[in-house]
Amino acid sequence: MIRRVEINYRGIFQKGLAKKIASDMVIIATRMGQVAFSNGRYSDSPERNGIPCKYFVFASPDLEEEELEAECGAKLDIDEADVSIVLDDTMVKGVEPWAWHGVRPINEKLVPGGAMLVVSRRDHGDLLRFVARKPYAYRLAIIEGDASFSGLWVYRDDLTHERVLGAVAGLEPHLLDIEAVAAYLWEKTRDEKRVAAAQSAYAEARARTREVRPDEGVHWDHQVPTLPRWYEFQEGIVVPAVERGFRLGPRGQSRNPQFKRATSRSQRPVVRFDLCTKCTLCWAECPDECFDPTEDGLFDVNYEYCVGCGKCAEVCPVHECIVMVDELRFEDESSPWEHWKRDPEGYVRWAEEKKGRQRLAHARITGQGQEVKLVEPVGFGQIVPARKARRGP
Amino acid sequence: MTAEPAANVYERQELLTGCQAVALGVALADVDVTAAYPIRPYTEVMDAISKLIADGEMDAEYVIADSEHSQFEIVKHASSLGARAFAGSSGTGWMYGFEALVVTATDRLPVLFLVGNRALDDPGAFGVEHNDALALRDMGWLLCWVTTAQEALEHVIIGYRIAEDRRVMMPMALAMDGAFLTHSQHIVRVPSKEAVRRFLPPYDLGERRLHPDNPISIAPQVNEDWVMELRRQNWEAARRAREVIVQAYHEFNAIFGARYSPPFYFDEFMTDDAEVVLLGMGTVAMPARTAVRRLREKGERVGYINLRWFRPFPTAELRESLRRFRAVGIIDRDFAHGAPDDGGVLLHEVRSCLYPARERPVVVDFITGLGGRDVSIADCLSMFELSRRAASRGEPDEHVTWIGLRE
Repeated sequence: MIRRVEINYRGIFQKGLAKKIASDMVIIATRMGQVAFSNGRYSDSPERNGIPCKYFVFASPDLEEEELEAECGAKLDIDEADVSIVLDDTMVKGVEPWAWHGVRPINEKLVPGGAMLVVSRRDHGDLLRFVARKPYAYRLAIIEGDASFSGLWVYRDDLTHERVLGAVAGLEPHLLDIEAVAAYLWEKTRDEKRVAAAQSAYAEARARTREVRPDEGVHWDHQVPTLPRWYEFQEGIVVPAVERGFRLGPRGQSRNPQFKRATSRSQRPVVRFDLCTKCTLCWAECPDECFDPTEDGLFDVNYEYCVGCGKCAEVCPVHECIVMVDELRFEDESSPWEHWKRDPEGYVRWAEEKKGRQRLAHARITGQGQEVKLVEPVGFGQIVPARKARRGP
Repeated sequence: MTAEPAANVYERQELLTGCQAVALGVALADVDVTAAYPIRPYTEVMDAISKLIADGEMDAEYVIADSEHSQFEIVKHASSLGARAFAGSSGTGWMYGFEALVVTATDRLPVLFLVGNRALDDPGAFGVEHNDALALRDMGWLLCWVTTAQEALEHVIIGYRIAEDRRVMMPMALAMDGAFLTHSQHIVRVPSKEAVRRFLPPYDLGERRLHPDNPISIAPQVNEDWVMELRRQNWEAARRAREVIVQAYHEFNAIFGARYSPPFYFDEFMTDDAEVVLLGMGTVAMPARTAVRRLREKGERVGYINLRWFRPFPTAELRESLRRFRAVGIIDRDFAHGAPDDGGVLLHEVRSCLYPARERPVVVDFITGLGGRDVSIADCLSMFELSRRAASRGEPDEHVTWIGLRE
């Protein structure tokens, strides 16, 4: 018998976190008498910002290590997952690690009755507005928290790591026993706070698990591309470039249709066109060339290609003109500029509603209090230079 | 096959070193771009090309590179733009550019490179050893050895013809022994430009040509979804090259006279009723064939096989040929330390080629002439003697013998 766990994480920002969680799961499962190992999906490119990646843990109470390795380790991807951990809830919109993979559902590998554990501030219904329908029932568990993001060489010690271990114990006690988790964390850290975090998440995950029925979730219309056979494509590693030329307006620039990369995004820029001074900085600085110039001198955003890096919001010289907003607040990737042209006042209301007054909450310890920034909306057309706004009243 | 060339095919004769003959071949092939970085013995090729350009006999971009790696990358990129490109090197310089050599093959760009065979340092040495060019053997290159300046000139032209064939599109390495060929002067018959033009069509990359009017990407990063299929494509090209090579020689003969004989991949000398033969590559053919003549005078049934094409390896042709003999002595001007029986590279290729044959000769190996040491007629007579003993015993005394070593 094999128990398989996948940890969905965002490249760079959660690479260290995913590996820490997987490592401790192996050690705890081993202490419980199981044979276990972990690996990262080698074909991933986890050094790219925000790219959806996977880490795996495999454990068995009865197989030899070599047999477990042959079943699970000698493969690039997981066959199926008993537990699927989602470290950033915006990945419920789908994951696309490489060109030609297609946008895959977050629960693609989950087995019947398996458990998907999401770190999120949303409830089950909110998440299921984006998750693909499965032909069978499974469990959805949530532990409250912001996605824990750090960097390549740094690690954000916000207890997400301990809380995920506790939550997995709550969902799959034969894989991880909560007593074994607590004992291990105590022996390793001598820190009651960490043990308590695991134990509270254990209770939270059990309390906030609900069955997802086969009819719940959305229809998944992304196709998995068919890869050509060796004699069906151009020799010499030659790939046609995107079409030349462009026209003004939404989707006016040619882009690679095979790799839209939008699933790398956990936030998207919301633009207040009424505040735009047409300085061109967002268009010029966007590393992925996602801004389409329009006939009125504004710049539309192509959300199909935006990876949410935040560069545009950073370089925009106008207070509140471009603001990064949580991706799960959005349903589609339609053109914001077209919306603005149709109904300027309505668009600004919509934009402010999406941005919300309560901006990103950066909790010191997730689930144990947060710093909330309240922002007053800027009036229609009231251009304030960002540097003045930053100085404050 | 035409026995005599049409009038004016060879328009003049010149006294040329092997290097100068290659340079003249490059000019006759109307090469567009060449890049230069010196290392002996290759240096004389780039010198000769620069002189041809300075004298107005050749029109090409001559890029002086800062290293072999840059040199090879420059011509690789030029080739992707549709320019016929040439470069070359020797020994450790060749190895320094190896990354560029590997990607030129996977990018399927039909450049032609000259390898003036040179020992791999250390110690610093500039005499011939074949390991530099042989390092290409698994990389998807065409690889062939020439033995005379005349062949060198002609194989620049034949090489481009094969490499640039749309069925092939592989880079071509032309190897020649340092000193014994690169720096030896011989009378060379120089073909006319017109005849070369008839044999060698213009370089046409077609839809793979990198150009603003044909926007493409070459060699992007891929994951595990692609590499096996790409390698399979390269294998197919190497397979197709076999028939293209034969076709090219036939057409060369039709224009230039009966210069080369089937099976083209190798030449046989006095092998018709031979029992024992030696097989080697490069200029060792001269003392070896002389030894054959001397032994034949004594009535010994010996012969010599000069292997010209190493990649693609003439598997079927050589298997068919060698099964006729009782013993084959391999002359390895290279080494493969720690390989089976501690033999040379050529031994392993030939033995592997012969293994599936029901009847096969005893195979013995000789490592000789390393680092430019000369291989004499007497050395070749010793190799024949050891091979003959192996034939009569039905097995070799030693699988591998070093010849010409102070011991």
